[in-house]
Parts: sequence; structure tokens; C-alpha cells
Amino acid sequence: MMKKRLFASLAATALVAASMIAATEAAQAAPRVVTVWSPYQGGNLAMWDAAIKRVEAANPGLTVKSVGNIDMAKSLAAINAGNGPDISVSNGNGNLGWFCGTGAWQKLNTLIAGKNGIDMKSTFNAASVASSISNNNRCALPLYSEIFAFFWNKDVLAKAGYTAPPKTTAELLAYSQKLTTFNSDGSIKTAGFVPWAGYYGFDMDSMWLGQMFGAKWYAGDRSAAFASDAKWAKAFNWQKDFIAKVFGGGNFDKGSKLLTKFVAARGGEWGTDHDFMTGRVAMKWDANWMAPMYCTGDDWALADKCTSKVNFGIAGFPVSPDNLAAYGSGVVGQGQMGISKGSKNVKDAWIVMKALATDTKMAAAWDAANGSPSSLLSKAARPDNQPAWYQPVYDVMNNPKSAYHTVKNTGEHLEESMLQNLMASWQAGDTSNIKTALSDLAEKVNQIIARNS
Amino acid sequence: MSQARVVASSPFKKKGELAPPRRKLKTPWLFIFLCMSPWLFGMVFFTAYPMISSFYQSFTKFNLIESPKWIGLENFHRMFFEDSDFWQALKNTVWISVISIPLRIAFAMFTAWVLTKPKRGRNIYRTIFFLPSMVPAVAATMAFTYIFNPAYGPINRMLEAIGIKEPPFWFLDPKWSKWGLILLGLWGIGDTMIIFLAGLLDVPTSLYEAASLEGASGWQSFRYITLPLMTPVIFFSTVTGVIGSFQYFTQAYVASGQVNDYSHSMYFYATHIYFSAFRAYEMGYASALAWVLLVITLLCTLVILKTQKRWVHYPNGSLFK
Repeated sequence: MMKKRLFASLAATALVAASMIAATEAAQAAPRVVTVWSPYQGGNLAMWDAAIKRVEAANPGLTVKSVGNIDMAKSLAAINAGNGPDISVSNGNGNLGWFCGTGAWQKLNTLIAGKNGIDMKSTFNAASVASSISNNNRCALPLYSEIFAFFWNKDVLAKAGYTAPPKTTAELLAYSQKLTTFNSDGSIKTAGFVPWAGYYGFDMDSMWLGQMFGAKWYAGDRSAAFASDAKWAKAFNWQKDFIAKVFGGGNFDKGSKLLTKFVAARGGEWGTDHDFMTGRVAMKWDANWMAPMYCTGDDWALADKCTSKVNFGIAGFPVSPDNLAAYGSGVVGQGQMGISKGSKNVKDAWIVMKALATDTKMAAAWDAANGSPSSLLSKAARPDNQPAWYQPVYDVMNNPKSAYHTVKNTGEHLEESMLQNLMASWQAGDTSNIKTALSDLAEKVNQIIARNS
Repeated sequence: MSQARVVASSPFKKKGELAPPRRKLKTPWLFIFLCMSPWLFGMVFFTAYPMISSFYQSFTKFNLIESPKWIGLENFHRMFFEDSDFWQALKNTVWISVISIPLRIAFAMFTAWVLTKPKRGRNIYRTIFFLPSMVPAVAATMAFTYIFNPAYGPINRMLEAIGIKEPPFWFLDPKWSKWGLILLGLWGIGDTMIIFLAGLLDVPTSLYEAASLEGASGWQSFRYITLPLMTPVIFFSTVTGVIGSFQYFTQAYVASGQVNDYSHSMYFYATHIYFSAFRAYEMGYASALAWVLLVITLLCTLVILKTQKRWVHYPNGSLFK
């Protein structure tokens, strides 16, 4: 009887142990799935998916589900509802403060510093390393870069006797005075440079002005520095002085009115009647993705040789006399990706995200197709046959002083649009005291940050 | 009514025969409910629930990512005492209401009156004047930003041709931008005009004939016959105009986007709600703004409803009388 009982107990124990082992094996064999949502479509999505296939091939047992054509609003709503993807992608880094600040994207500090981490400084360019941090937390890895630089019409400048672009704000003003022409009725015929918020989509942005003067957005990473950093007031006064001297013959109101009309008559932004292509404006700030259009007209191809009628060059922003060390730089932003709050598979999500961020094959293909240079420092991330005329874009991108402004949790980077509004009000003559206006702006931005923190 | 009378009036019963006791019919509640269910579903899930949810959220801090956090009346305090954009938006909205509603009513009534005059081609004229109201707001606004462009728009070319040396910059000038929107609104007056036209055609011609026999002038006929009889239409247009103007959004949003309205001269209350919700991601604050808008609209409507007894003339009676 005892033997029987012993046998029964042993059998039962063996059965339990076997089932536990089976369960563990089953758990280990459970599919490892990482979901990636991106805004990409068409050819870009194909390149993205090809990179994902490479990740899967390098990590047997790992399945990556890629979903394209998802904007950030959809991702946000899904993350909030608890059914978001493991990884989501944001075009541009303006929203980084929002995603990091609210915790929609998880902090990556531990993963980056971990065993399977990344040495950020030796992997990505300086601007990307600096810009994927918000509130001292790194919550994103950079993808391709978007570079904002200074574009100049070589032929128009050569006619005026200039062989190189202006390097300082004083030179920019002097060049513009020489290059600006007027019609017989007093209206502006051609402009050297148009320091006007709203001229074109990627033209006189508050961020460019700050970069030229080396103005800081936040003091000690805490509060808005629009009032405390005197460079902002200096930058705004330069803009006003420029409008008065170049367009108004010393009269700001006159210059402002003439420019309003000149800007209203601008050609379309996305075609060959763009003012820069027709010669209506000789110098401007612009984004790297506009360069292919200026080069080939409506073809938008990153061609070996430029065939359009505008013979242009690309350089760093002209800088203020006390910011000469920053010459050659521009504003550099990035596409960013992060791991969503609530991801159940952070370990695998990190493997996928790191692989995508450092995939030089995808980076090179992306650059070749879109003219969007990768944030990676590796030469393998560059396409083999990138045209020589495009080299200055890389130079601006890799300049150690190139940067995107510090981002804070202000919603959809509201501080940028608020500063832009002030600039527009200032250029129209509706704001009389810039110091008070900047001080009010700083207070508003601080209130937003306080509310969101 | 007696049973005998019922029987007498029934064609199916013989005279004097009593009608059988009526069977009490069962109300088909299930059927009624099924018929109403699409509306009920829409009402509960797409109106009632969002309203209740928005009311709750108006007392919270809610950024879409984190769960709503109860903050009591903080959103309302911020709105009235800290948010200068709120006052700017409210000021712009009140301005457009006060200016555009009377102008729209006057213009619609005048247009309708003109359209009662032609003897031939009446329907063609009416169609022509009604058509603009069918143009989508976005398309109409984009067309108007072109028409009012100070550099190449036809309006300023015409103004210059008649001797105005410095015509306004319209949407590019904060002092003129709202007037551009007013003109855009007047162009699309068709929907209001058609109601006035129906009202005008409803006025008995005998009244005008009698007035004419009494020697009344055209103005007197308008003042003492047309206008009083049009007051119900004016009342209706005022109420719907107030509600509509406090929700004014599409035209202002498109126009300000087209011309980069950094001065906020076309920043209206609905725009402020939109920006708070979808640019600043402050859903709690946006909900509070929406509820304040509801209260303001309700108060304005109540005031108009209360005062209508004094000035609205209903010849045949009315629900509101």
C-alpha cells in the first residue's frame, strides 16, 4: 500500500514537473513580435520595410510588424488608449518635448548605456546627439536629418561683384542693399534678402534668427531665455533695421509696407515660379529638400548636374559679429523614433530601434532617394554617387555648431510659433517695445511648461 | 362621445347595433425602439457621451497621454485671468458677430427684395444669387485670398483704377482682415436670402394695394408692412446667426493659414478651442473653453428670445408667441 502511494505521489510530481517544463518551453517559444508605426508611404515605406526585413533576418525568431501612413496624432491616441505600437516615428523633432515630457515615449538612458547600447557621440552627428534630449531625458533615436541652410544665387551675386556668400549679418545687409532693385512706382522689383516671417514656409523662421545671433531658447535648461538673453532683442532690432535700410530708405514703415506687398506677390513655393528660381530674390534660408527643385526645376531629382536657370550655392547662415565661431552652421533637425509607453516588449523594441537607427544601407538609400542625409557619422550611410554640388548640405549638417533649439514640453512646439508670431507683429510695426514683448513671451512659455510638467 | 354615436357613424355596423368592446391595443415598444435605435445610438454615443465627457474633462488637466487629472476650476480661472489669447479670440468673435449679423440680414433682405422685382428670368437670378452659398467654405476662402491679394488681386487693381492710391492689404493687414471675412460672408448670403425671399413672397399683396390707395410711399410700405411681417425671419436669422458666428472657424482658419496671420486678427473663439486641443494638446482646457462658449451662446440666444416679444410680429400666431 505504501509503495503504491509513493508511486502515485512520484507520478503526480513528475506530471506537474513535466507540465511546468512544457509551459516554460511554450512561453520561450512564444513569438517575439515588435510593432512599428511610421508615417511613410510608397517608396519610402518600401525602403523602411526592407530595413525591417534585415532586422528580422539578423534576429531569428523576431517578427516586426510594420504599419505605414500613420501620423503622430493616430499614434498618440493609440498610445493613450493602451494599444499603441512598440515603436513610433515622428517626422521632425519639434514634438520631442511633448513625447518625452509626457512619457508617451519611454526614457532610453538605461538602454543606451547598457550592454547592447549605443555610443551616441561616435555614431551620430553632434546636432542629432544634442537634439534627441528633452528635459535631460533621451527618449528618441535620430533617423535622417533635415538641414536648414543659406541658399544664394551665384550669378546675381557675381553681377554685383560678389564671389562668395555673406558671412556676417552686416555683410548680408550690405549685399542686400546692393542687390535690391525698385520699380519706377517705388515698389520692390528684386530683393537681395527678405527677412520676413511668412515669406515662404521654411524661410525667416524664428529659429534661423536665433541661430544667426547665437541666442539661447532656454537658460540653464529651465526657463525661457527670450528676455534674459539679450541676443534676442539684438536679433529683432537687426531685422527692423534691415527692413528700414534696405527697403525703406531708412524708413521702417515704408520698408514694411513695400515688403508686405512684395511678399504677397511671391511665386508658388513648389514649382519653377518660386522667387529664388525666377531671380526675384537672390539669397534666402531654406531646407535641404528644396535644393533638388532649385537644381532641376519641377523634376525634384537629386541630379549630378543642375539644369535649372538658377545657378545657386549652399552655405551656412551669416552670423552676428559676436557669433563668428558659428559660421558654417545651420539649423539641423531629424526624424525621430521612440519606444511607446506601454510597450510589452521593450527589450526587442530596443533591438529593432537600434538596428533601424544604425542601418547604413537604409540611410544611404534614403539619402539618395530623398536628399535627406542620415544623422549617422559613418561614411557607409552616404550614397556612393552623391553629387558634388550637394556637399555643402553635409558640411552644414556636420558643423559642430549646427543645432536644433532645446525642446521643452510645450505641446506642438508652441514656443516656436509664439516667437514667430512676435516676429511677424514686429516686422509689421504692430509691436513697439521688443524687450517688453520678449519678456511677456518668456513668461507665457514658462507658464505652458509649468502647466505641462 | 357616446357609444351610440360611434355605432351610428360606423359604416360596418347596422344601425342601433352596439359596437363590440374595443380591444386594447398593445403598444409595440420594441418596434418603436428599433425604429428609433439609429437615432438613439447616435444621440447617446456621438452627442450625449461626448458632452458629458467634455463637461467632466473641463475640470481636469488632460493631455491625451496621461489620464485626466482633476484640477477643479483651474481651467476656468486660467481662461478668465491668465489667458490673453482667450480675450483676443472672444473680442474677435464678438466683433464679427456684431458686425456681420446685421449686415448679413440687411444684405439678404435687400437681395431678396431685389429678386422679387424681375418679371422675366426670375428663377435664373435666384439661382445665381443662391449658388455662392453652395461653394465649400474652404474653396471660397482660398478664392477670396486670391481676389484680395494686394499685389495681384483684381479687387485692388480695380480700386487703384478708380483712383484709390493705397488700397487696403485686406487679409495681410490686421486692421482689414476681418472686413475681408465679412465680405466673404456677404458673398455667400444665398441661404439666408432664400428664407427672406420666401418671407417676402408670403406678404399679401392686398396690404400693399391698400397702402397704395391710402397714399403710402414706398418707404412707408416697407416700414409699416414689409418690415413687421419680416420680423419672424429676422428673428430666426439673428438666432441662427449668433449661434453660427460664435462657432466661426473654417473661413478664418483657412484665410489665416493662407496669409500667415501672425497678428491673430483672425483668431476666433473656435480657433482658440482648436489650437488648445490639437496644437497644445490641452483637452481639459479646450473642453472648458467649449463649455463657456455654450453658456455664452445660450445666454445670447435667451436674451434674443426674451426680447422678441417686443419686436417680432406674428400675424398667424407662433410657438414663441
